[in-house]
Amino acid sequence: MKNEFLKQINTYFPSVDYCSFRFVNKYTNIISVTRNVLEPIEISEDEGVMVTVIHNGGYGYGASSDLTQEGILKAIEEAKKWAEYSSGKLVHVPHPPSVRIDGGKYFTHEKDSWGKESNKDKVEYLMQINKSLKSKPTISNWGASFRYNKIETFFTDTNGSDIRQNISYILPQLVACAEYKKQIQTRTFGGHAHARQTGYNFLKDSDLINKADQIANDAIELSMAPNCPDCKVDALIAPDQMILQIHESIGHPLELDRILGDERNYAGSSFVSLDMFGKYKYGSDKLNISFNPSQESELATYNYDDDGTVASKKHLIKDGILQRPIGGFYSSQRADQNHVACSRATSWNRPPIDRMGNINLEPGNSSFSEMIASVEDGILLETNNSWSIDDYRNKFQFGCEKGTIIKNGELKHITKNPNYRGITKEFWHNLSMVGDETSFSILGTANCGKGEPNQTIFVGHATPPCLFREIDIFGGE
Amino acid sequence: MRDYFQSIALELFKYIQKDEFLIINFDAEESNFVRLNKAKIRQPGNVKQISMSLSLSNRDKKNLKSHLRLNGSFKRDLATLIKTLNYLRRELPDLPKDPYLLFSKSVQSTEITHEQKYINDEENLDYILTNISGLDLVGIYSSGYIYTGLANSLGQFNWHSDYSFSFDYSIYNENNNAIKLNYSSKKWKNEEFEISLNQGIKKLKILSQSPRTIQKGEYTVYLEPSALNEIIDMMSWGGFSYKANKIGTSPLHLLSKGEKSLDTSVSIDENIKDGISANFSADGFIKPDKISMIKGGEFAESLTSPRSSLEYSVAHNASSTSEYPYSIDMRAGSIDDDEILSTINNGIYISNLWYLNFSDRNNGRMTGLTRFGCFLVEDGKLTAPINTMRFDDSVYSMLGENLIGLTSNRKLLIDSGTYEERSTSSARLPGAIVNKFKMTL
Repeated sequence: MKNEFLKQINTYFPSVDYCSFRFVNKYTNIISVTRNVLEPIEISEDEGVMVTVIHNGGYGYGASSDLTQEGILKAIEEAKKWAEYSSGKLVHVPHPPSVRIDGGKYFTHEKDSWGKESNKDKVEYLMQINKSLKSKPTISNWGASFRYNKIETFFTDTNGSDIRQNISYILPQLVACAEYKKQIQTRTFGGHAHARQTGYNFLKDSDLINKADQIANDAIELSMAPNCPDCKVDALIAPDQMILQIHESIGHPLELDRILGDERNYAGSSFVSLDMFGKYKYGSDKLNISFNPSQESELATYNYDDDGTVASKKHLIKDGILQRPIGGFYSSQRADQNHVACSRATSWNRPPIDRMGNINLEPGNSSFSEMIASVEDGILLETNNSWSIDDYRNKFQFGCEKGTIIKNGELKHITKNPNYRGITKEFWHNLSMVGDETSFSILGTANCGKGEPNQTIFVGHATPPCLFREIDIFGGE
Repeated sequence: MRDYFQSIALELFKYIQKDEFLIINFDAEESNFVRLNKAKIRQPGNVKQISMSLSLSNRDKKNLKSHLRLNGSFKRDLATLIKTLNYLRRELPDLPKDPYLLFSKSVQSTEITHEQKYINDEENLDYILTNISGLDLVGIYSSGYIYTGLANSLGQFNWHSDYSFSFDYSIYNENNNAIKLNYSSKKWKNEEFEISLNQGIKKLKILSQSPRTIQKGEYTVYLEPSALNEIIDMMSWGGFSYKANKIGTSPLHLLSKGEKSLDTSVSIDENIKDGISANFSADGFIKPDKISMIKGGEFAESLTSPRSSLEYSVAHNASSTSEYPYSIDMRAGSIDDDEILSTINNGIYISNLWYLNFSDRNNGRMTGLTRFGCFLVEDGKLTAPINTMRFDDSVYSMLGENLIGLTSNRKLLIDSGTYEERSTSSARLPGAIVNKFKMTL
């Protein structure tokens, strides 16, 4: 089907100002073992094409899973029809690119391919992890899963561009719940943060059996731990919580389509306005945020976005000063801003919109032990389990799985249900220490929701642990 | 579409071997999506998608499932499906037995087809664009057919097809305050849309006053059905699930164990009969018309999937594996619409809540924010819009000890969600007046 499609596609271009075809084949395989029982294995193959037409001041798309000649022609007609209808009615008339990208490529490097290991062996590995998770009788629920996604994209347009990209990623998830006096505490392997563009070797190299044992012990300890106290203290935030903090209070508010109002009916707007770029002090001098599509093995590493724009690393925030938005080729035209290659779609059946790619907090120069030693009264917060922020991305409240009290420069006892809340505009100014290269962790999230029609997409976040002064912390019940 | 699915299923069943059992699930939609911003078109387009899932099991209780996107062309799709069937058959022997595998073995065929004559989306959009001129409107118009089918190798055939549209939108004023509206139905009527729009415009006028910032503390609030829906949605994250209550990860596990209760006026059903989702499960079981999940403030019946029924040796009620409700139906109360403001007297009128999550799942405590059309109520009157506030409160407080009452009027809320495909979830809810509602930031 695919080869047939590729051979013929150039003959399909309609006579319009601009037209692109984006063909996507998306393979998903999820294997889960819960309480020592294999759940039904999920195998999914999604294939289709999106045709985009810009013509005579109009824009439209037609998307179809019908990749027969008839199906593609119908999708072209739909795109042309909507372009014709929207002419003169658009909020912005898009000016298509004029560049031609000849033979653009990107492929995830899978050292050991997903398919190399049989289903039987993967299930056996998950069974072993389950055994390790259920190492103690007080574990009331446990499970582990591996998710593999492979997304093959072929993009071509009337400029003659021709881009092929194969992105594959793996997400391991482990969970253990412990019950004590009818209260349940849950501990995971970083929630769903350990998603990476990598091969099956990542799962073998991650020592998941020992990690499972640690997770189970943590869950038991947490179930008997005191609730996190209500206090205003220093918060040392671990990478598997930092990624959520970056995602919600830097990534989303910098998305240009939010700033331009597209998302106001659904995902929300932003407190950031266009006049802030180049001068707004977003956080302390130690805050450096990059859009980095070239970070090896990170989730959203690629060479081109879904509008065919060339991707490269750019600073979004430099020494605390806001530099540029996360805006793609077309959004940037609307706002007269520099673009980054962030125009992405979840699949062939949704149009590209402004999306985070890899949004990273650049490492500083403090070691983890230096950061602990600098805290007189504080808490170490690990692994996100709850997230909530207002539609202008300002007032947030986040919850973590585990809190460890820090007193006089030393880690003390653990506490359950640690939560913290704050206001984005103030929070990043409290950033006082940033972990060094040795603590820089490459993580991400596979399910970021946004857009109308709705889309989920995978985004990367790499970050060291960071220390914030004077944060409002509180516990449960 | 029905005939295509039935004929391809019948053909595929010819390739089933002795002692094999095959279920085919079918999903398709033909949708137009027109996104708007600033009362103009942002992105318009059309999506046609067809998919099938093959779930093959054998006499050893081994099972494997594959989900495929298809063309809609009988010959090509059959070849793809046969190839997939052979792959599943090859892989099955290597897999362990599934002790919780349960499919419907009694043949119960059903067909529900809501025929709809052709809807002219361009005419509807022309009408919308004319009437919203001069407003700052943002949102999405979605329309089209949704098809769901099931066939199994025992001869069961189920079909559900429906046409619907949804115009989900917000109108903003110059202070960036907004009213959220939704007009969803099966047949577009200009006058119905106009009524909805005019109600929104009227409310927006109250928002034009300077917003007030309220202090953190406890307030008497009215939660419109759409705001209450967000709280019920959070309760549904495992709250009604048999499995989640059994293992203790449910936010309602204390309610299910009888250790906590809600106000006696709170009764919540899963009402498939009056909802818009299909009445059959992916396993081929026919769902009961109604399941009473909370009755008189007490936990009544869980949503129990066939898998849970085998794991815990209980009867199932054809719930999906996620044990999530799709057609929430909450009983009405006795507060009439014209009594709402006087009952609040001094407090907050909340049209929508947003981005809820748990602060303490064990104890049913959740947090979220006010959004779209929230007003201060003083001496029984709406006096000014409020700036965004965060709440943090427990379901046992909001719908329990501090629930003043529910409204006699209920609203049908059709989920406008379009992740992967257009949602068929819905909720019919009253509004709620709550005392000591905790605002925290």
